Amino acid sequence: MSCLKDKFDRYVNDGGVPEGGLAPAEPVPAGVDLDAFDALRKTYPEQMASSLVLPLLQTMQEAKGHLTESDAVFVADYLGVPAMQAVEVLSWYTMLYSEPVGRQVIKVCRNIACSLLGAERLIAHLEHKLGIKAGETTADGRFTLMLVECLASCGTAPAMQVNDTYHECLTEEKIDRILEELP
Amino acid sequence: MKAANVFFNFEITGESHTLDAYRNRGGYGALQKALCSLQPIDVQNEVTASGLRGRGGAGFPTGMKWSFVDKMSPVVYLCCNADEGEPGTFKDRWIFEHSPHQLIEGVLLAAYALQVRHAFIYIRGEFDLSWRRLKEALAEARSAGLMGEHILGSRFSCDIIAHRGGGAYVCGEESSLISSLEGFKGYPRNKPPFPAVKGLYQSPTVVNNVETLSTVPWIIAHGAAAYKEMGTEKNSGTRLFGISGHVRKPGLFERPVGYPMKKFIYEDAGGIEGGKKLKAVIPGGSSTPLLLPEEIENLTMDAESVQAAGSMLGSGGTIVIAEGTCMVRLLHVLTRFYAHESCGQCTPCREGTSWMDKIVARIAAGRGQSGDLDSLERITRGIMGNTVCALGDAAAMPVAGFLRKFRHEFEFFIEHGCSMYGGRLEI
Amino acid sequence: MINLTIDNKRIEAYPGETVLQAALRSGVDIPHFCYHPCLSLAGNCRVCLVKVDGRPKLMPSCNLPVAPDMQIESETEEVLAARQAVLQFITLNHPADCGICDKAGECRVQDYHVKYGEGEGISAELKAHKPKLKPLGERLLLDNERCILCSRCVRFTREISRSNMLGIVERGSHARVTALETREFQDPYSDNVIGICPSGALSSRDFLYKSRVWYLEPVRSVCTGCARCCSIQAWRRKKNWHVRSLSSELNRTIYRISPLENPEVNGSWICNKGFDLPKAMARERALKPLVGGREATVSQALQQAWQLVSAASLPAVVVSAHASNEELDAFRDTLALQVTVYTREDCSVQADEVVEDDFLIRPDKNPNGYGVHQRFERHSFDPAAGHDVVVIWGELQDYSPFAGCRLIQLTPFLPPAGADVEVLIPIAPLFERSGTFTNFEGKDNRFQAVFDRAPLVQDAAEVLRRLAA
Repeated sequence: MSCLKDKFDRYVNDGGVPEGGLAPAEPVPAGVDLDAFDALRKTYPEQMASSLVLPLLQTMQEAKGHLTESDAVFVADYLGVPAMQAVEVLSWYTMLYSEPVGRQVIKVCRNIACSLLGAERLIAHLEHKLGIKAGETTADGRFTLMLVECLASCGTAPAMQVNDTYHECLTEEKIDRILEELP
Repeated sequence: MKAANVFFNFEITGESHTLDAYRNRGGYGALQKALCSLQPIDVQNEVTASGLRGRGGAGFPTGMKWSFVDKMSPVVYLCCNADEGEPGTFKDRWIFEHSPHQLIEGVLLAAYALQVRHAFIYIRGEFDLSWRRLKEALAEARSAGLMGEHILGSRFSCDIIAHRGGGAYVCGEESSLISSLEGFKGYPRNKPPFPAVKGLYQSPTVVNNVETLSTVPWIIAHGAAAYKEMGTEKNSGTRLFGISGHVRKPGLFERPVGYPMKKFIYEDAGGIEGGKKLKAVIPGGSSTPLLLPEEIENLTMDAESVQAAGSMLGSGGTIVIAEGTCMVRLLHVLTRFYAHESCGQCTPCREGTSWMDKIVARIAAGRGQSGDLDSLERITRGIMGNTVCALGDAAAMPVAGFLRKFRHEFEFFIEHGCSMYGGRLEI
Repeated sequence: MINLTIDNKRIEAYPGETVLQAALRSGVDIPHFCYHPCLSLAGNCRVCLVKVDGRPKLMPSCNLPVAPDMQIESETEEVLAARQAVLQFITLNHPADCGICDKAGECRVQDYHVKYGEGEGISAELKAHKPKLKPLGERLLLDNERCILCSRCVRFTREISRSNMLGIVERGSHARVTALETREFQDPYSDNVIGICPSGALSSRDFLYKSRVWYLEPVRSVCTGCARCCSIQAWRRKKNWHVRSLSSELNRTIYRISPLENPEVNGSWICNKGFDLPKAMARERALKPLVGGREATVSQALQQAWQLVSAASLPAVVVSAHASNEELDAFRDTLALQVTVYTREDCSVQADEVVEDDFLIRPDKNPNGYGVHQRFERHSFDPAAGHDVVVIWGELQDYSPFAGCRLIQLTPFLPPAGADVEVLIPIAPLFERSGTFTNFEGKDNRFQAVFDRAPLVQDAAEVLRRLAA
């Protein structure tokens, strides 16, 4: 049994976990659907709450575009895992964004098979076309251009993704058409 | 050599991935057979007898991997490794997109053999169509009573949970996959203990590749002997071989293990783009040391032969490089990749991969120095064999291989500050 | 026991031990950064690689279970080359700032680099830059450039203090230790990470640039912060490094506190209150005897006190829970036979202090309540008992229960203004005496004087003996 005088609330304890869990209750971040959280949680065995860190962050990112440390802390509190665990996860996986991204995130593969078939040329074309460098977002917030590693499209290289959608066997003309058709 | 097709045995249409289509071509017959007439150990024995070896890269005998698990343990987990990310490899994606039920049936058969209640399919986060097809297929299987409680009315119950990765190459390493599935960074774990003893949530866990598991239904349906008839003596069956790079017809082919490499490149893949000469072949995904044209002259695509030639068959992704390609800049593509994908846990890989990348990048930018190549070789020696997982070796081997076989190109670049081949990657 | 050999030396190991544990216990020093006996296995530094007979690859000895007749080589050319390579990787982006790093002199990175590293660097790249000397709460500084990512501190906050305040974010060479930005850094055991950090990445804001460690030496002491009585080391200037031209106070300063491993009492850890002990002791000292509020000689004060006690109709002594067992014994055998004895807790829980937890911290904030109550009955002072003369042993905050009594106080610190003490006799504080406390579990713990007693300061045992005469 642990306890502490005054503020150290993690240790204040005289007979059980305080109502609402050990961690201070954080407000639900905007755009977060707790019902979706609960539904997802039910799909995993009960003792595996920790496994949901990544799926919940992914769900949250779909709604919010990018995630902040507070979002990660919220997910951790929801699952009852250490906040630091979710913050580490947020920083570690490349598909989780800690910075704002455009509505269309263009992810161009630059790995070996795509490079052998012109990835560099296509990246230069995209940079020129969008007026931004790789890693940047257009001023209107429409496009973010990212360079990514192998997308398992080596047989249909060069490849890129726009948000989740794969585009393969790319050429400059094909990229132009894809960009034109994007909302 | 007899060759049936374990995978490429149906015509791809807009419907061929569905449960109905799969059932119409005999799908879930193996599961039915196993649940009605086989004990779990029979399934394991059949797979052992088939000589099936892991298709993820390491080639460990599948039946033996299963046999390490203590079946009396209260909980055993099965994880399907679908974190396909080895550059040059794109076979699992095909299975998800065109025959997801074949994988689900394989998972269920393995789960039955291992008495697993909860199986996981850890699928690459980037996959889009694959993910949707998997989710649809799981839903179909559930409503058809093929998943969940009392599968096909038997006493066997199993749930399959599809778990999406978050973008990390290293999560294809089995213990890293387990860390990731537990909700942590995908740090590989020290062995011992091996996952078969202490894996997911400290319980015995088997991690098998998508292609491996998808092969199991065929083995159960047709028998181990039929499977063993295909391939070579030590390496039975067929494999999904991918070919990419400078070839006329890149793509995925199902071929018996032991298929001739030259035939694969020059007949199946249509030969080198633009009729150019072959410069080098990376035989089993980007981590495997590259081979020169003379080294593939009589090479067959099985683990033993490729190993004898000084490389590895790995995940079966062949990358073809044509004459005129700048090997310095090509190596930079790889060092950049491994530096980006090092998880950051153990010292040699964390520091070594980024150090190698900095040096190669500098050479490729025309600012190489004498001594750089010796440093690179030293770094590869400092990494190889000294890391927690195989990513360190995977990063060091291409560097060592490129330097061994194309050292003159690197020396040229350092001396002249420019590429021998105009820095070309594309031809 | 399992027999194995390390570098041809025969070693006995316990079943379940790792090669590294067996080696360290047998005096074979295999270098290691991330392994710590109290923390989970990380296996990430890779500097403890050894050759195992019959295995192609080098193995990390920290994760290598011992087996009968195992033959381990830790000094072969192959092992030394791997060790050198790992050290080269470790120092690749590590700043060469030992000259201004507090850790220098007791730094594993430095020691191993000198012992096993290569003289010459081969890197032509610029060192990577990461956050430097970033405050972690009010007590710690984190220098990510010095950090070698062994994860000891992270594992400490996860497994020992369980605050989960530290983690490693980002991946590859960008990996870095960090605290949360959105939550206050709070961990009542945080300062332990300074000691377990094998590099200078984590340092104390309090000790920062105060002294080079090689000028200092540790003295075994005991923390008086609570009834746990943790073993500590109090660091003072070495005699041959005493300053002459600067303030001589520097020669009587405790520069820092570190935990002293004591498996019976506190393991390898202490809480932050222990690290702050010198600060707690930095109150205004009682350095001169006072009689009726005026300075007096020692003999005058003793004489006056003796007269008061001897002439009293009903004298009493209130025993200090900070008294050592030796002092208590002296008192029990002398003055205690002639007076009424009361016990008390000198110190109570302060605001913002952890009252109690499930690790080290105890609710009784005095070191030797156990020793006192072994010798004397638990008995709070009774103002209604009609005592005319009371000897108060130790510090006192509230003098009101003693209103109307003539007070003699034996204390290391000046009483608060307005305290009506007739005779005040300064006694030695913790760092100026030696002795034993008994902790709440009945374990004796010994402490040694860090400094000589100040000139007029008395030994409490001697004073009490004199009052009985």
